Amino acid sequence: MTTQKTYVVIPSNCTGCRTCELACSMVKGYDGNLGRSRISIYKIGDERYMQMTCLQCVEAACVKVCPTDALVRNEATGAIEVDEERCIGCGLCEPACPFGHMRFDVDDGVPNKCDLCGGDPACVKFCPHKALELK
Amino acid sequence: MYIYIDGKKLFASEGETILEVARRNGFDIPTLCHHDALEGVGACRLCMVEITHRDWGGWKGLVTSCLYPVEDEIEVSTSSEAVLRSRQTTLDLLAARCPDSEVIRWLVEENGEPSTQYKQATDGSKCIMCYLCVRACEKMGCSAIGTVNRGVSKEISTPFHENAESCVGCGSCAAICPTGHIEMEDSRTERKIWGKTFKFVPCEVCGAPIITEEYRDYAVANRDLPADYYTTCAACKKESLADRFGKVGS
Repeated sequence: MTTQKTYVVIPSNCTGCRTCELACSMVKGYDGNLGRSRISIYKIGDERYMQMTCLQCVEAACVKVCPTDALVRNEATGAIEVDEERCIGCGLCEPACPFGHMRFDVDDGVPNKCDLCGGDPACVKFCPHKALELK
Repeated sequence: MYIYIDGKKLFASEGETILEVARRNGFDIPTLCHHDALEGVGACRLCMVEITHRDWGGWKGLVTSCLYPVEDEIEVSTSSEAVLRSRQTTLDLLAARCPDSEVIRWLVEENGEPSTQYKQATDGSKCIMCYLCVRACEKMGCSAIGTVNRGVSKEISTPFHENAESCVGCGSCAAICPTGHIEMEDSRTERKIWGKTFKFVPCEVCGAPIITEEYRDYAVANRDLPADYYTTCAACKKESLADRFGKVGS
């Protein structure tokens, strides 16, 4: 019996305030840099927004291309996490992701991807409009 | 089996190294040449620990913890006088070899007196011959770099210091180098490393660099993903997906 929770986005509740991006970048050490947040808000048309973040794919391309098994699924949360001690910085996981959710910055030397904050995502906690949930 | 580290009885599996057991249990042993995903070579000599074999009549000796496989009932000391003296000497030598290296300066300061009795090198090199770059390159399947020359003039380079055909410009060597010795220069269109200039594959939407052309060809041939994965940058992929999702509900 799995106890994994599901990360749910509810675009109809999203107002595009980008609090989730701010929370993510603060919690993950990017000091409020929204461009480096692991979740992104896109404006679609005039009044609609779409939240985009890692889908934690079952058969993930990033995992498949990693030469050192540095991307490991956390069975408790379902998230694919980066084992920084095993990453050699080849950067292939970024182009491998078909959805653009993996970012590899040469200066960091390790990929920047959503790990669901170990099961308690900051974006969900900070979203003021219940547009992100973990259930 | 069980081993003792600084007096603490700890479980260890056969084949594990002392360093693995120590780190798993929160012991701080400094290393520069160790990497979890690469085979150990014991090059930097910073991870020395002192072991005592009870069943060898209390034999004591200094060993590299990154290479030494655990044995039943050995006693390990991570900070005995002999260990600290060895570490200090190693750091002294490293600091003299690479005075420009920030990470070595930091390690020296962490580990006691920041003084060196050795003559400082003036060639500006930060290479400590840890072979992390060589091992990473091998792991990638390229093996484009190795050691050239011998003795004091030994250095890491491509064969004959020439453009290595097998180098794809992935940048793993530069990313993994613990002292920042390997120089890699990226512009929007080009990457320069090991004297070779690579062209980036530009994103077909915004023109941002993705990976080098050689790296893409290498990845297509060796990583079982089709070439069209490498035509659009991450930001544009995400934007176009958001757009497609957005249209579903409208």
